[in-house]
Amino acid sequence: MTNTPSFVHRSCYATLAFAIVVGAAAGCGKTQPASFRLNMVQATKTSAPEADLERPWEKWSQDRQSQVATILLAMFGTPDEPLALAESGLDEAKLRLAAGPVRSDIVGRKNGLYREHCVHCHGISGDGMGPTAAFLNPYPRDYRPGKFKFKSTWRDAKPTSADLVRVLHEGIAGTSMPSFALLAPTQVDALAEYVRYLSIRGEAELALFTYAEQELGGDEQLPTTREFLVDEILTPIVGKWAAAEESQIPIAAVPAGVDFGLPASDFANRESVARGRVLFLGDGGCVKCHGVTALGDGQANDYDDWNKTIVEVSKEVAGSLDASRQAPTGELSPEKLAEHRARAEWLHAFVEVLEGDALRPRTIPPRNLRQGVYRGGRRPLDLYRRLYTGINGAPMPGVGPSGPGGKGSVADAEIWHIVNYIRSLPYEFDGELGADRPMIAKDRF
Amino acid sequence: MIRLAAFNWTHVVACLLVGVTAVLLSFGALVTTYEAAMAVPDWPATYGHNMFLFPLAEWLNGPWDLFLEHGHRLLGALTGLITLGLAGVVWRSSTHAAVRWLVVAAVALVLVQGGLGGARVLLDDKTVAKVHACTGPLFFAVAVAIAVLSRGRAPTASHEVATRVPVALLVAAYLQLVAGAQLRHLDASVEPATFHSLVGLHIVGAIAVTVLTVASAAVTASTEGSPSARLWSRGMLVLVGGQLFLGAGAWVANWGVPADIIPASWQLSEPLRARSVWAAAVVTGHVVLGMLILGGAVVLAIESGGFGRRAAAAAAGRRAFA
Repeated sequence: MTNTPSFVHRSCYATLAFAIVVGAAAGCGKTQPASFRLNMVQATKTSAPEADLERPWEKWSQDRQSQVATILLAMFGTPDEPLALAESGLDEAKLRLAAGPVRSDIVGRKNGLYREHCVHCHGISGDGMGPTAAFLNPYPRDYRPGKFKFKSTWRDAKPTSADLVRVLHEGIAGTSMPSFALLAPTQVDALAEYVRYLSIRGEAELALFTYAEQELGGDEQLPTTREFLVDEILTPIVGKWAAAEESQIPIAAVPAGVDFGLPASDFANRESVARGRVLFLGDGGCVKCHGVTALGDGQANDYDDWNKTIVEVSKEVAGSLDASRQAPTGELSPEKLAEHRARAEWLHAFVEVLEGDALRPRTIPPRNLRQGVYRGGRRPLDLYRRLYTGINGAPMPGVGPSGPGGKGSVADAEIWHIVNYIRSLPYEFDGELGADRPMIAKDRF
Repeated sequence: MIRLAAFNWTHVVACLLVGVTAVLLSFGALVTTYEAAMAVPDWPATYGHNMFLFPLAEWLNGPWDLFLEHGHRLLGALTGLITLGLAGVVWRSSTHAAVRWLVVAAVALVLVQGGLGGARVLLDDKTVAKVHACTGPLFFAVAVAIAVLSRGRAPTASHEVATRVPVALLVAAYLQLVAGAQLRHLDASVEPATFHSLVGLHIVGAIAVTVLTVASAAVTASTEGSPSARLWSRGMLVLVGGQLFLGAGAWVANWGVPADIIPASWQLSEPLRARSVWAAAVVTGHVVLGMLILGGAVVLAIESGGFGRRAAAAAAGRRAFA
């Protein structure tokens, strides 16, 4: 018992030491004001060293990054003080409600809604790299490429405001994206506007880096004229958003005899379900990924566009790095040697960026349609839209036309039969289709 | 006729302090859950009013965030007053030195904690919020220790192992709250890798607390120690079991069922609802239960003779004499 006090003291010291370590790890200094992060994957990808490079690669690459950051600051402001140019079509009042730190204003209205509800997953910059992102499957959406999955418009078109509000209101089943139905409609509207803001900002950033890569030499500065920034960079992006309302896909009339008010197994729907099954297994091409059993056990090694970008860039960088290491440098002229070194430096920097600024790529498995969990919504209309246009950014193709006036693999009205069949799947006895014996792709074809 | 002098006022006031602090910390946990810390932008005033004179109707009928934050402030002030009252009672009585020092610590902590709360608002700083969240449970632990040590019953001497394990549990329970506070007050600029490490730390902490709770129950059952320690260690098993359940629930309430480790058939078929009452109850309950576990660990450490046995014995002697 004589040792007990010293043990107690040691425990107290250990507690204190741990608390200090955790405090230090958490960051003991005052929390820094929030700032947007540059899209470093794009910044590095578009700044490959050139042959006639006079300044060190790192120097001009950083100069270009600061140019882009300065331009974005002037066009879009900061996370605490967002700016909406008149040409952006954004509502600054809504942005101010969503942006900034979480706090109530003088009339008790809560501001900082994005920081309260979204930032932990989607990140300050809307890059899908919030603190929790690595734990989530699927990863949170990166808004910067301007691609949205669940919408009422053509595949490559932007979503309407109502589409964004709907995703926020309903959430996305089967993912970590919650429903914000308990928030006031004005708050949901403000969040949808802020998502649009982050997306437009992200696309502008991509456009600036791409322009710099394609049009400028390493030592050239990006133009900062209003004509360039607004007319060449911002307007094309905003134009697509403005066209969203007019880009909604046509909805065919529901064929006679189909009644979505009744269960899919009801006698009234049986013929439609049978027709849907034929299309599912045939012209629709659904079977390739979702499988004969619809368990999602078809081709499952594909990536969505966000992950595919990282996979492809990583492969390219790894290949170039191998080639760079194996290249004989002994016989190179001083100019060629300098170019070789600059390129190796760029590749090493790229590897670091991919490790630090991108999440480990994940494949996107086809949905198991027998679970009855539909990410884009469970209403027949939602399923119709998913089938018609496919899912933008995902490998899921559409069975409808790819654009106005086009022709799809399945007639518009027939899509309703596939919808009916899909709705029947969760209630179908698995054994009937061999669902108890999942097939692999090579056996099926 | 009841003789007021016969009351153990130190114990009575300390118990009151424990109860009010528990409510205060629960309000604090709700403030964090609902991100209501900045619902009142000024401090120590509330929207320009003296904190104590803020219109009752406005507080009760105003936004939920305002109700929580202003309520937290009022409870904080009440806790401070009770702590000062306790200091006065202890000062007037001939309490043992350990209790006196604990009361000094309580007064210091409550003042620091009030200041930290104000700094959190005035600076709008998450780092201060983290420290504020770590000091609160520390104050609660001190309040519980005062209440137990002043009750006038000495713990039975225990085997050395039976004293060390509960003390280790007490340390682990507090550190687990410190780790949890880092997750709760997450800054948006934190990298995913850092968050990953913090989650790992919290899980290791959960394992440590669970193992030490089981070990405490085992050693108090197998040694000739205090029956009360045995009872408390079993109670701790229940609390920690519930806490593991709530911890998993808190994860699900925030981010859904982890798709990488749980089969798809167990996934939720409906999206989670942000700001739902059940989600807030689970997440806040996890924090509150963590605080109760810390309090239980303090009692267990004292009951098993790990802390302040001489103080408790002295208090017991005085009660017997009275």
